[in-house]
Amino acid sequence: MLLVLSEEQKAHLGVLPRAGGAAVGELGRLAVELLRRGAAPRAWEAAARKLNIDVDTIQHGVEGLSYLLTESSKLMISEVDFQESVQVLGFSDELNQLLLQLYLDNRKEIRSILSELAPKLPSYHSLEWRLDVQLASRSLRQQIKPAVTLKLHLNQNEDQTAQVLQTDPSTLLHLIQQLEQALGEMKTNHCRRIVRNMK
Amino acid sequence: QRFRFCGDLDCPDWVLAEISTLAKISSVKLKLICAQVLRDLLGEAIEYEKILKVTSDAKLESGDVKATIAVLSFILSSAAKHNVDSESLSSELQQLGLPKEHASGLCRSYEEKQSSLQDRLKACSLRLSRLGSVCWRVDYTLSSSELQDVNEPLVHLTFNVQDGERGRVAAVPMTLSADKFRVLLAELKQAQTLMNTLL
Repeated sequence: MLLVLSEEQKAHLGVLPRAGGAAVGELGRLAVELLRRGAAPRAWEAAARKLNIDVDTIQHGVEGLSYLLTESSKLMISEVDFQESVQVLGFSDELNQLLLQLYLDNRKEIRSILSELAPKLPSYHSLEWRLDVQLASRSLRQQIKPAVTLKLHLNQNEDQTAQVLQTDPSTLLHLIQQLEQALGEMKTNHCRRIVRNMK
Repeated sequence: QRFRFCGDLDCPDWVLAEISTLAKISSVKLKLICAQVLRDLLGEAIEYEKILKVTSDAKLESGDVKATIAVLSFILSSAAKHNVDSESLSSELQQLGLPKEHASGLCRSYEEKQSSLQDRLKACSLRLSRLGSVCWRVDYTLSSSELQDVNEPLVHLTFNVQDGERGRVAAVPMTLSADKFRVLLAELKQAQTLMNTLL
């Protein structure tokens, strides 16, 4: 699969051959930092001064390079496809090699950053429980009514929420039975076949 | 094989694995680490540097130190949870392979702090909300826009309710007529009598 770059992106990446070999390394590092931590205008200004290029061009170059890296990592394109995609830009072979190396070195890390961007459902954190017995109420004395109170702690994107639930013991037993059945599904032939094929 | 200190269930595999790490430390040092773990379980600050000092002579790696603290934490809190006496705990730990000296040192520390541990665990149990304080005021309504001579007493009550562990206090204000207030007081007194029969 080949990567398609727009005219604007090709223009942004045009700064690379002008900047020279060492600068490409520096811009590559800035591009990966952009993906790890977000924009760093001060670092870009420092690079602009060092390489004697104006800040806007540096910014565009870094952004273009990070787009190149994320799209390539996202689609997991092969070396051959990457080289062919980059050929379109008309850079020297040396520069193409540097870009390929940059891609291969950082691909795994970029993919792990991208995987964290998927939307997540609230996930289980912990469960507190309590067993009570109701002995009397305003309307009725001499009762024996057991109840289990649960506090389910959930995590969603670093937000902690808690849900309070209450149930009687027979519903709790039914709940446990259902959950054990769900776990038991993993052992059926159907699930085992799928798991084997995924590996 | 079932163990009382694990709640009549099998001992978790990781606890079994770490018993051999415990045996590597001398029984005197184990007792010192135990004292620190008990401090942590009782809600006082754990003095990690003291533990590191003790374990540095025994040549334990940092992973082993954390594992030791975790397994001691589990054994002591689980034994307190299931109200296991120190002799049974000692014999069960020896069955798992902990040398006699280590087990008796551990259990002596446990015995001293068993009831404080259980009190602390009781205090940490799930509590949905608790009453902080009650404020009241008695007014006398002279007159209103509806009726010229009202002449009735009125009670203002504010319950300050603390929400669970997070501790945000919410004020619940209400006003009651004299009759309603008498009914409330009578019902609460009945509930109090019932509670006293259970204490």
